[in-house]
Amino acid sequence: MQDGFMNIWLYRLGWTYVLFIVFLLLAPVLYIVYISFNEYTFGARIYEFTTDWYTLILADKILVASLKWTGFLAVGVMATAVPMGLLAAKFYKSTRHKVAFVTLMLSPLFVPADIMGSALLIYFKNINHAVEAFGAFLGVTWFHGFLQLGFTTALIGQIIYTVPYAFIVILITMSRYRDQQTEAARGCGANAWQAFWQVEFPQIKVGVFSSLAFVTILSFNEATRTALLKGGFDTFPNVLVSQMLNIGMSGESYAMAGIMAVVSMVFIGSIIIITLIRARGIERKFQPKAEPNPIN
Amino acid sequence: MSALLAIRDSLMGERGLQRWAFYIPVVFMALFFAAPVALTLVWSVFERTMFWMEPGFTLAAYENFFTSARAENYVYSMIHSAVAVVVSFVIGFPIAVFVRRRVVKAAQHRVILLFILPFMISELVRVFAMRPVLGRNGLLNTGLMELGIISEPITIILFSPIGVVIGDVISFLPFMVFAGFLAMEAVQTYIFEVCDDIGVGRARTFRDIIVPLAAPGIFAGGVFIFVNSLGVALVPTILGGPGAVNAGLIVNQAIVALDFPLAMAISAIMLLTLVVLLYVGHRLFDLTKILQPIS
Amino acid sequence: MAEPFSSTNTEPPAVEVVGLGKNYGPVKALDSVNLSIAQGGYTVLLGPSGGGKTTLLRLLGGFIRPTAGKILLHGRDVSGLPPNQRPTTMVFQSYALFPHMNVEKNVGYGLKIQKKTKTDIAASVERILSLVGLEGYNKRMPHELSGGQQQRVQLARSLVLERDILLLDEPLAALDAKLRKDMCIELKRIQEKIGITFVHVTHNQEEAMTIADRIAIIADGKIVEEGSPREIYERPQRKFTAAFVGENNLIEGKVINVNGDGLTMDAGFAELAAITKKQASVGSEIAISIRSELIRILDGNDGQAEGVQKIPATYLEEVYLGLTTMHLVRLPNGVEVAVRRISDDDADFGGTAGQEIIVGWNREDAGVHTD
Repeated sequence: MQDGFMNIWLYRLGWTYVLFIVFLLLAPVLYIVYISFNEYTFGARIYEFTTDWYTLILADKILVASLKWTGFLAVGVMATAVPMGLLAAKFYKSTRHKVAFVTLMLSPLFVPADIMGSALLIYFKNINHAVEAFGAFLGVTWFHGFLQLGFTTALIGQIIYTVPYAFIVILITMSRYRDQQTEAARGCGANAWQAFWQVEFPQIKVGVFSSLAFVTILSFNEATRTALLKGGFDTFPNVLVSQMLNIGMSGESYAMAGIMAVVSMVFIGSIIIITLIRARGIERKFQPKAEPNPIN
Repeated sequence: MSALLAIRDSLMGERGLQRWAFYIPVVFMALFFAAPVALTLVWSVFERTMFWMEPGFTLAAYENFFTSARAENYVYSMIHSAVAVVVSFVIGFPIAVFVRRRVVKAAQHRVILLFILPFMISELVRVFAMRPVLGRNGLLNTGLMELGIISEPITIILFSPIGVVIGDVISFLPFMVFAGFLAMEAVQTYIFEVCDDIGVGRARTFRDIIVPLAAPGIFAGGVFIFVNSLGVALVPTILGGPGAVNAGLIVNQAIVALDFPLAMAISAIMLLTLVVLLYVGHRLFDLTKILQPIS
Repeated sequence: MAEPFSSTNTEPPAVEVVGLGKNYGPVKALDSVNLSIAQGGYTVLLGPSGGGKTTLLRLLGGFIRPTAGKILLHGRDVSGLPPNQRPTTMVFQSYALFPHMNVEKNVGYGLKIQKKTKTDIAASVERILSLVGLEGYNKRMPHELSGGQQQRVQLARSLVLERDILLLDEPLAALDAKLRKDMCIELKRIQEKIGITFVHVTHNQEEAMTIADRIAIIADGKIVEEGSPREIYERPQRKFTAAFVGENNLIEGKVINVNGDGLTMDAGFAELAAITKKQASVGSEIAISIRSELIRILDGNDGQAEGVQKIPATYLEEVYLGLTTMHLVRLPNGVEVAVRRISDDDADFGGTAGQEIIVGWNREDAGVHTD
């Protein structure tokens, strides 16, 4: 707090440090975006601005197809992970086994992509084998290809990955909601759904929309799990990984990385800005008349 | 008739289907997260076949792991991961403390929000971006040479263990800031004023008050970074030198080689490492404290 | 050790603030305040929330830096010093114990920082814990203590530092009414026993009356008035104080006549005479105040007595409050007035709603407020 007796220069140093670290985390990404607009790409002495690399990838049919799959997955994840996060947050509020439940919901954060992807891969293969064997035993072909690697399995992998984020974001917003309001709404004659939709939801929708945004970006960026579980198609990050590993750092891969970085930054950046603006509005509304508590 | 109504109620009423909907997340997570994770242990003792595996009990996969260079590599990658945790703590935790202690209450969340931005850019891109920065002709080396600080490019920072640690820190540092801040949020700011009042020095406040109170968050952040450094194959693949591996990459290689029991054995070892860490941490610091702000 | 506790009249005041101001951006939390607090007393800063009393206390403690003015503690200018270099120590509202340390460690922590030996620390802790009535609680963790006990531990943690001025920031706010009363008496007892200066902030006037030697009323960033509890309660000087403390009935009007020992005010519906030494010019706006227990509903005989101010009123209702009963009446100008009587005094006292009555008071009981 700049208000007490802490040295003002130490305080400024603190801020400088925080901003420097944020910059440090962003700088490499900004640098590759910069490179991606260079005609002569990385390592050249000359810098000549061009958008050719971007034109090149957008003309590439495989890449456009991969963008389409990325989009499908993102929509699928939005439509499933966020409702599930919401249900989970509601469940958390009412369950008596809070610790066990939260452990189950948040554990996927602690299981690295390659491990989770491999375990699911073998899980799906086993189910597939077992069900097909069962079908063969019955003499029917209905089960052929059940849970074979493909869109569904990739989607499940991404849901497992994104639900913890949706859950935690919604839960944090929900923790500011007082349950007495639901009780009051029920007291006024609303049924459970009306109480939720008309009273609770308007107060937690910020969390729901932020989690939609986060989940979309997480899905858009996900490569490892999808690579293991996808079956026959490629997503945009999948193509980027194979480019990087097989061809190395070409102008095209810089442009692809540039697209991924810019999409995330614009998307998340605008969410952050909207949140900040909203927060300021709320603050102005509830500004204390006098004696603001400087820190609490 | 009344029986029919009862059935309808149990399906549609507030005590029926609607209520069961809240169990969807539990069921889904149990089915597609807990089950495959737990089954790794079972599959790791299956017999390997040419392209697949079949039920059985053999410790061949474990034997294979412990008698090859893989075990050694696993230990090395644990050391690198531990270094990444320490570096992230040293760089990231002071940010959580500074924001909680010195920044006006209303602005605290906004400062923390700043770290969401890099965190939400694809890890793939961020790790990949370290190459043109750290490389022989990279931004860092050319910059330092231009300034005359070095005359030869530093090559030890890319395609090396150091490169891997840098990549891990860049990837996972924000999590230390988030978890640290979450833990600090449970600490009333009065406490810092009490310290000022008593005259507790900066270092002493950090050691006696801040670290013990934020321990659950520090630990959770640390475990997250440790496990991901150990398990995310991307970082050593892109920034490590020849032969650089971590647990995730070994698993990946085993999958590619169609040695599924081996992949599962290494996964199981990693997951057990995780469970033991979390259990010990929970016994020491009561990790449920982190959840205080949301319960 | 005994030295800081002693005090003689020749010593400078414990607290002296001169032209003290604190701004938060455009908001003036405190506006050039002057205040002097003598050594060894129990002073309460009383005022509505948001009035600046906590800001003043935090400025004394050194937790915030003043925008203007000076703070002298025991005659020494401490305006530029951090909390630990001041002769003050603070007890906070609540939740300020170190949650990971037991009672003994909480209390002894300050001494550990001062590098006292273990035996010294143990002895001091023991002595202070018995002073605050927590013998035997050494090993308890904060979460195992009640709210009142936690505040006692905070008190002990501050007292063990043996500083000369103890600042208390709404220390009883989180406690229930019964416990608050007990703690008030306890705090007073401790202050009298150790003799150091206590400065206590509260918005609760009952708490202030119980505990204080002197009260300073703070509102809108200014000191409104100061005095002993009796002075503040019985003879409030400012209109704000009359409205804030006790249960005063305020009647406003214009001065129409001034004489040697009093004045006459036109309240619109009646001319009211009051006894005062205050200077007020004819035509100025003033208010007079009468405490609810000093105003009466008059019967025929009472109305004839000498020096009684009588006015007509309409009876509204009776509110039974246990020990006392409050009778609400309305004056002709629409102002509601409370008349309070001991409940057992007169069971038949009062009237029926809408009944026209006469209320009155002894002229010397009315206060006159020119600002």
